[in-house]
Amino acid sequence: MISKINRWLDERTSWHQIWEVIFLRKIPKVNWFYTLGSASLFVAINQAITGILLTIYYVPTPDHAYDSVQYITTQVPLGWLIRGLHHWGASVMIVLVVLHMLRVILFGAYKFPREVTWFTGVILLLVVIGFGFTGYLLPWDQKSFWATTVGTQIAGTPPLIGEYLLRIIRGGTEISAVTLVRFFGTHVWVLPSLLLLLIGVHLFLVIRNGISATPKRGR
Amino acid sequence: MSEPVKLSRRNFMQAAIWGFGGLIGIGFGVPAVAYVVGPSLISKQTQAWMRLGSISKVEVGTPTLFTYTVEIQTGWIASTEEISVYVLSTDGRTFIAMSNICTHLGCHIRWIAEQKQFFCPCHNGVFDNAGNVVAGPPPRPLDRYDVKVEDGQLFVLVGG
Repeated sequence: MISKINRWLDERTSWHQIWEVIFLRKIPKVNWFYTLGSASLFVAINQAITGILLTIYYVPTPDHAYDSVQYITTQVPLGWLIRGLHHWGASVMIVLVVLHMLRVILFGAYKFPREVTWFTGVILLLVVIGFGFTGYLLPWDQKSFWATTVGTQIAGTPPLIGEYLLRIIRGGTEISAVTLVRFFGTHVWVLPSLLLLLIGVHLFLVIRNGISATPKRGR
Repeated sequence: MSEPVKLSRRNFMQAAIWGFGGLIGIGFGVPAVAYVVGPSLISKQTQAWMRLGSISKVEVGTPTLFTYTVEIQTGWIASTEEISVYVLSTDGRTFIAMSNICTHLGCHIRWIAEQKQFFCPCHNGVFDNAGNVVAGPPPRPLDRYDVKVEDGQLFVLVGG
């Protein structure tokens, strides 16, 4: 029955060809360090699922942000789990993408013909850091408020443009409702769109170019 | 798959991946449903007698509007809500208390003194002074509360 449906679908979509290209492609003999990219993708999916769930209760305004987060953590069934997965997933994400980057550097996997994969990876790293920076403010507690005070203050240090940069990031001179909601919008709309696009290109290139073999001694 | 499959390394790995994938899927799916549905299932309604006021305020033959306030907790927001009750007495000794919520689709009805009728602005539902449907779409008369009178004070039973 299932194979019948599969054949029916395949005739019209050739999904099996796509499946083969993605999951049944030939790869060189590799080691466990080559799983760091997939691990990053897995955690990214975790962040997407738990992040979407958090927006069901979270309200990005100064008078509701903290209370709604407390509500999620203490009142909603398994809310502590969803928030916990998102919170710890964020840290795991940073660790994984940095390790992934180190693997690519140390194994020389960024070299021809994979430079563009590397470029998209660099932007992806910045996007992930952007996620961390904007997400940190959202619980709207003392830690997030002062961390964002410090973080945006650093953005204000470059000469000439610093002050404008600071005001653009904060949406004014102070950290306010405007700051909170623009961090939220960036965190749930801008960065996810960028991430999706870049992951798409990144994975396309990984599959198109194949993955590099482990470097051999003396070559 | 009807023919017996020999468990090769490849088949074992494939089954393991699908198995773990399924477990992870359940691990996300079940908490997600509990998380989304959970607060909808909480019912903290308990029955209580609410004091409306003195029976001397009730005009005989005309529904009189009483209100009481309840403290409600919705999500993380605690607030108070004013609930309206219309009380009718035809003899000054027996009382009926009616909800001001239209039985059609839940809008608030109000007493129009000139026409001596309850009127619902949403879909032109009309009720008489005892809450019986006169015109419009409402399927049944206005809901009534249980009433008691103690020391000249009027109480209605709410919740439950």
